[in-house]
Amino acid sequence: MKTMMKGSILALGLSALAAGTALAQEATFVMTARLVGAPTYNPIKATKLNTATTLIYDRLVVQDADQSFHGQLATSWESSPDGMLWTFKLKPGVKFHNGEPFNAKTIEWWVPQFKGTENAFTVEAVDKVEVVDDVTVRFHMKHPDPNLLFNLASSFMCVPEPKSYEALGDKFGVTEAIGTGPYKMQQFTVGQQTVLVRNDDYKSASDLSKNQGPAKFKKLTFREIGEESTAYLELKTGGADVLVNVPTDFLPRIQTDKAVKLVTIPGNEVVYMPINTSVEPFTDIKVREATAFALNQKEILTSLYGGNGETADTFLISSLKESQVDPKYKISYDPERSKKVFDAAGWKPGADGIRVKDGKRLEVKLWGQNGTEFKRLAEIVQAQLKAVGMQADISIIDAGSINAQYRKKTEHQLAVRAYQWTNADIVDWFFAAKRAGYPNVSMFNDPEAEKLNDIAMNKSKTWDERVANFTKYHEYVLSQYPFAPIYQPVQSLAYGKRVVLPEKIRGVGFSSQSMIDIAPAN
Amino acid sequence: MLRFAIRRLAMLVPVFLAVSLVIFMIIHLVPGDPLEHLIQVGSSPEQRAQMIARYGLDQPLLVQYGRWLAKIASGDLGDAIVMRRPVSQLIAENMPHSLTLGGTALIFSTVVGIVTGVLAASFRDSLFDRAVMGFILLGSTLPSFWLALLMILMFAVQFEWFPVSGARTWDALVLPALTIGIGGTALIARVTRAAMVEISQRDFVRVLQAKGVPFWRIQLRHILQQAMLPVMTILGLRIGWILGGAVTVEYVFARPGLGSLLITGLGQRDYPLVQGCLLMLAIAVMLGTLIGDLAQAALDPRLREAMGAR
Repeated sequence: MKTMMKGSILALGLSALAAGTALAQEATFVMTARLVGAPTYNPIKATKLNTATTLIYDRLVVQDADQSFHGQLATSWESSPDGMLWTFKLKPGVKFHNGEPFNAKTIEWWVPQFKGTENAFTVEAVDKVEVVDDVTVRFHMKHPDPNLLFNLASSFMCVPEPKSYEALGDKFGVTEAIGTGPYKMQQFTVGQQTVLVRNDDYKSASDLSKNQGPAKFKKLTFREIGEESTAYLELKTGGADVLVNVPTDFLPRIQTDKAVKLVTIPGNEVVYMPINTSVEPFTDIKVREATAFALNQKEILTSLYGGNGETADTFLISSLKESQVDPKYKISYDPERSKKVFDAAGWKPGADGIRVKDGKRLEVKLWGQNGTEFKRLAEIVQAQLKAVGMQADISIIDAGSINAQYRKKTEHQLAVRAYQWTNADIVDWFFAAKRAGYPNVSMFNDPEAEKLNDIAMNKSKTWDERVANFTKYHEYVLSQYPFAPIYQPVQSLAYGKRVVLPEKIRGVGFSSQSMIDIAPAN
Repeated sequence: MLRFAIRRLAMLVPVFLAVSLVIFMIIHLVPGDPLEHLIQVGSSPEQRAQMIARYGLDQPLLVQYGRWLAKIASGDLGDAIVMRRPVSQLIAENMPHSLTLGGTALIFSTVVGIVTGVLAASFRDSLFDRAVMGFILLGSTLPSFWLALLMILMFAVQFEWFPVSGARTWDALVLPALTIGIGGTALIARVTRAAMVEISQRDFVRVLQAKGVPFWRIQLRHILQQAMLPVMTILGLRIGWILGGAVTVEYVFARPGLGSLLITGLGQRDYPLVQGCLLMLAIAVMLGTLIGDLAQAALDPRLREAMGAR
């Protein structure tokens, strides 16, 4: 009887240990805010993808936080001096999750699939793909595109398996998603969760990952929780192991929470204040300059963002080479300069401190989208503008409606907003005259800027040339003050006690490069 | 009874048309459009114009409405523009979750509401009556968004009795069902109590009391049975409202369902998806009202005759 009992206890103990081990092999990630609601894992046709995408698929190249490129499915690449030919050497022996081989023919099939999709611009410059041999492909270009590598590193350029892609049609990415990545998609419920199981044959990690073999967790669940408080409480109670992209509002709370650890990655976002150059008083460049120098970026960083992140003094994230402009073009808080320029523009302080010109008070509209961060930011900006004699009246507009309001072109004057992007061509997106209204909220239309834009966008043959051209374009835009830079957030990840994250998160965001290095705590 | 049912059903057709027009116009007249979520950095204004044409958004609103209505008539709710899947498929995937949550909340609010109403009416003006009705009233006045977070903090974070969110286990249903159910409980309890108090003052109750029929027998067999008539009407209305009321609760508890789908659709201005979800909610309210009316008519022949005679 005693032996039987001992046996039972041992069995119970062993099964408990096994259950513990099984649990340690699984991890739950919570995605919130912008990452919620991706409708498909079809990278070619999607306009929105989430963090799990780069675990299902690999890309030819991946990018690090310093904007350098590293091979993933490609081992090396080279461009001809005239930029009209790109040759890629591919990793041999890579197989898709369904056993189909990945080779040069996959790339030959893959590139034309983008035609007619919203992502067609990524390969717009590619004329045709030539298969040189099983592991070599050559891109023949219609015109030089030094941005090709950046596009290839995008999540939208993850490589799907051709046969299942063709067979499943619109269901590809929803019911099944076959790639070469470190995880296989087991289940996907739109807006709810994605369950991934480990690809035990995985061996195509880039050199950004320490782990060059299969991932350390057997199973990952990515839950989508739109409500940020709920997402945080899931992490706090152990319902989740990692909170991807911690909302800025929660940073101070998480920093004091002993049950949760925080790791930050260089940001890919800039918060700024566009200035509508087409409406009074901002048609006067002096008023724009005075307004731009009135914003105290350091105060905003400290009071609103708890010191997390960096102040911004140009339009681009600081890891981009094109952000390294001549210091004279940088825009940082200078209240004396602001007041002096206002005076020079004829706006003199009135009895109540608000400036007046020709009997007209310096009163402007300041827009922001709903959400705690933008409301508070608008209030701080309002106070800072008042300190130099400008009265800004705040209007908070629904996030889904605000772009349509910008398209009316003359309703807005100042706004607080943010963008997320890691390429200098964002200057074209927000300041090209052809996009006036939205995304060119500043209604910036300047012949010299248009000329520099054309050179930067269309005339650059090599990456270095593109960097130089975009830097010039960026400097010119800065010199015309169609916006005021404010803040560069960091990307933050919070995680619980059951997981260990790599010391350094690699990549421009939290993606497969670092995720396959995440390990169970014990 | 059949004539009554057919007459009531026929009355829903113009209501449905009016509701569909209102739904369509509201979402289209609100600024913003789904293309904001489709356009990628680098795409040209011409590509945007092409997309507007592709989804028929360049057509006059009435033309777009006509097309949508024609599709509905053939049983097609269209394809979600941002989600890129048939709206009917998305609704079919989410509806069971909403029905489970709404059904559980309805059962909870009905049982607790009637029991509380009966007890409050039976011990009218006592401390128990005031305390229970006051507590329920307080619960029903709290915004569901706030009540949901309060529930999570208390029962998931503090006591760790239930999961914070999701729909992966049965116990994840408890907190959202309670959050929705509390509002209905207050309503049903108040209606039950008021109806029972009113009926208890009728002559037949005095006769029963004079005959020496036991108190609880009078309360449950005679008064409650008659008091059920207004409660049935309320329950009918609650069937529809409970699905609508779950919108914010599903979002806070990160549960799948029509509410979560609607919020996603609204955020993306995905016209076909929002229209489809709102139409389903409107149909639920209409059907709930119909069921309530039919149940009332079944219980009360006078109503049936009055409606049939019209």
